[in-house]
Amino acid sequence: MNKTWLRLVVCICGLLLSFTLPVWAEPVQEDPLDREVLEIAKDLRCTVCQNQPVAESNADLAKDMRQIIREQLVAGKSRAEIMDYFMARYGDYVLMKPPTERAGLLLWIIPPLLLITLALLSWVFLRQRSRTSPPPAAALSKQDQVRVRAARQQQD
Amino acid sequence: MFLSGFEFNLVELGHFAAYLAFAVALVMALAPAAAQFFHRPELARVGINASIAVFVLTTLGGLAMIHAFVTDNFSVQYVATNSNSKLPLFYKVSALWGGHEGSLYLWVWVLTLYTVVVGLHGRKHYPDRLPTILAVQGALMVGFFGLILFLSNPFLRLFPMPPDGRDLNPLLQDPGMVFHPPMLYLGYVGFSVPFAFAMAALITRWKSEYWIAHIRRWALIAWGFLTTGIILGGWWAYYELGWGGYWAWDPVENASFMPWLVGTALVHSITVQERRRMLHAWNIFLVITAFSLSLLGTFLVRSGVLSSVHAFAVDPGRGAYILAFMTVVLTVSFSIFLARGRYQEAEEGMTSMLSRESMFVWNNVVFTVAAACVLLGTLYPLALEALSGDKITVGAPYFNAVMVPIFLAALLLMAVAPLVPWRKANPERLRSRLLVPVALGLTAGVVMLVAAWPLHWTGPVAAALIAFVSGTIFTDYARAVRQRRVQHPGELLPRSLARTLLGNRRHYGGMIVHLGIITIAIGLTGSGLFRLEKSVVMAPGEVVEVGSERLRFDGVRSFQRDNYFTLQGQFTLLDRGVVVLPERRRYPVQEMPTTESGIHSTLWRDVYVVIADPVGEGNKTKWGVHVYVNPLIQWIWGGGLIALFGLGVTLTSRRRTARDAVAAPAVAS
Repeated sequence: MNKTWLRLVVCICGLLLSFTLPVWAEPVQEDPLDREVLEIAKDLRCTVCQNQPVAESNADLAKDMRQIIREQLVAGKSRAEIMDYFMARYGDYVLMKPPTERAGLLLWIIPPLLLITLALLSWVFLRQRSRTSPPPAAALSKQDQVRVRAARQQQD
Repeated sequence: MFLSGFEFNLVELGHFAAYLAFAVALVMALAPAAAQFFHRPELARVGINASIAVFVLTTLGGLAMIHAFVTDNFSVQYVATNSNSKLPLFYKVSALWGGHEGSLYLWVWVLTLYTVVVGLHGRKHYPDRLPTILAVQGALMVGFFGLILFLSNPFLRLFPMPPDGRDLNPLLQDPGMVFHPPMLYLGYVGFSVPFAFAMAALITRWKSEYWIAHIRRWALIAWGFLTTGIILGGWWAYYELGWGGYWAWDPVENASFMPWLVGTALVHSITVQERRRMLHAWNIFLVITAFSLSLLGTFLVRSGVLSSVHAFAVDPGRGAYILAFMTVVLTVSFSIFLARGRYQEAEEGMTSMLSRESMFVWNNVVFTVAAACVLLGTLYPLALEALSGDKITVGAPYFNAVMVPIFLAALLLMAVAPLVPWRKANPERLRSRLLVPVALGLTAGVVMLVAAWPLHWTGPVAAALIAFVSGTIFTDYARAVRQRRVQHPGELLPRSLARTLLGNRRHYGGMIVHLGIITIAIGLTGSGLFRLEKSVVMAPGEVVEVGSERLRFDGVRSFQRDNYFTLQGQFTLLDRGVVVLPERRRYPVQEMPTTESGIHSTLWRDVYVVIADPVGEGNKTKWGVHVYVNPLIQWIWGGGLIALFGLGVTLTSRRRTARDAVAAPAVAS
């Protein structure tokens, strides 16, 4: 008798629990290989698109390139080897980030140089301007003198 | 029959109006020169009436085009290529700027709008210089009307008339894209007004005290529209392009960003000229540069040079015209600048290295370098390919690496500069005022570092700077309110808060804009550094977990709407019971698929779902699904609204006369 009851309770509990199955179901996992493919595809340019990485493009070429990356990963190639593979075929053009040598060198040198140059120029400009003697107070108009006095009082 | 004939003639009427507008613009451009040549000063005033005529005529042409779109008049080639009888009415109107010819027409239409406003405003305020200003605007119009009428004419007819149109590009069939181009153009073209003022000032040796306040307003208005346009563009890219991002450093985006950066430098350094009568030549340089970059943006987008240098060479007509026009404008304006730029010397010196004016100079260094770097990254691949034939990609990773440090430097200036007084800062007082904001910033940086370890170095630095800036703004405001309450004892707190803010709208409007930028910076940091993404293959009923979000894929259904077929996926966010519906649409006329992402937004994060390709067939079909969790992304759009609100507050401030300044010296911060 007891056993029957127990079975019934277990059955009912099981039935109730089954309603929550979708919640307890093992969530779909991302294929780690897919992630690896996308991580590499992010740094490669889809060469027929306008400024779009392979990872984000729906173009047929991008799909093929993702497939090639996948095959090479399965074959045990490293990220660097896969990048070299595409570099050998498309040149620097295929890299989303321009190289720091060869044709891309200037791109990386100019911004800091420009910043330094402009900063130095401004520094010199400010120094030079602050050394030229400011116009004498007598040159201030009457209105300005009132304004100066008012501002001084405000400060105190 | 009669009616349809009428419609057909309406197009020709518009076409004729455009030619007439071209002629009137030519008159406007030549009026002051003619007045000088014939010694008939009254001739110069022709330009003022011409500015009204040219606007009316251009509007007539524009309305004729819109009418052709709305009535499906496919005898007009431009309508036939950019519209379709099944296109919803809303998009039929906006299809006017959906293609090359119409966008240029919108450009010149906006230019005539600005010109007529300047004309009406100037009659009262600066009647003697107005003809020269309008002549500069007129010359620009002549350049653009020449391009429109002779090389990319939207009024051209098609025979035989096709039964239906080829439809508007599906990507543009979206509310974001309806408003994005007009806003952008209102921004681009807005910089033509300061440009015309600067040219007129150089030519007629017009003392800057008379025009600087006017161009400040115009520059702010242009800056506001450009900001709106850029943010709308990012918003559109975010929900329409389906890769979870909003800004790709695409050359087209950069084209709008460069004038924005220079415009930002300009609206800051104009203040120095107004307050301290310095930097005259530099400001004129910035004005010319901002407008030149607007022209460059139009050239980059409209000449086809971006898709490839070779595409430009294959169809050289339009590209060569815009390039030649740009070269002429640049050469003429910079020649005039070099010859006359120093007509007005600085009248005051720098009192101290540590002052508000020196801070504005540093601001200009940062924003000029920023604009130059974007320019470099955008043009370098084109120049390299044209010169050596080598092809190279300058993509988002480059711009992020170069620009993020520059933006952080801008934030640092934004935190310190508003506390530094004009002329000479007292280092002791500055230090004590910086104490609380710096402490806030350091705390925020450390908290971020500990809470989110490990993370990219920009994370804690950005957090620290954001807190620093907010700290500065709020302590500065609190100090002003306290001071007011000392002067007005017994006043209610809300009234003190409001009166302080409204008493110096120009300053606090600017600070609200800064708060908007900070809000955007929060959104950029959150979504840039903490985005989660998963790309999985799912069958209906399965669940995917991204971060703390759990999504159930309920299945797909397909149906047909106005002018497209759609396949809609349904996902349930299990923790909230909310449904999101990403779509894949196919527009049969253009055979073009588009993705509509399904987005659930809260203040803290967006869950962004894209449904990709089916895997397998029949009953066991599974679907590729990309899920992104983008933290804080809504702050970007919200920040844009805050910035625009602040800009509005700034613009409502009237110019204070010298007498007001004496009466209320407390606001001279």
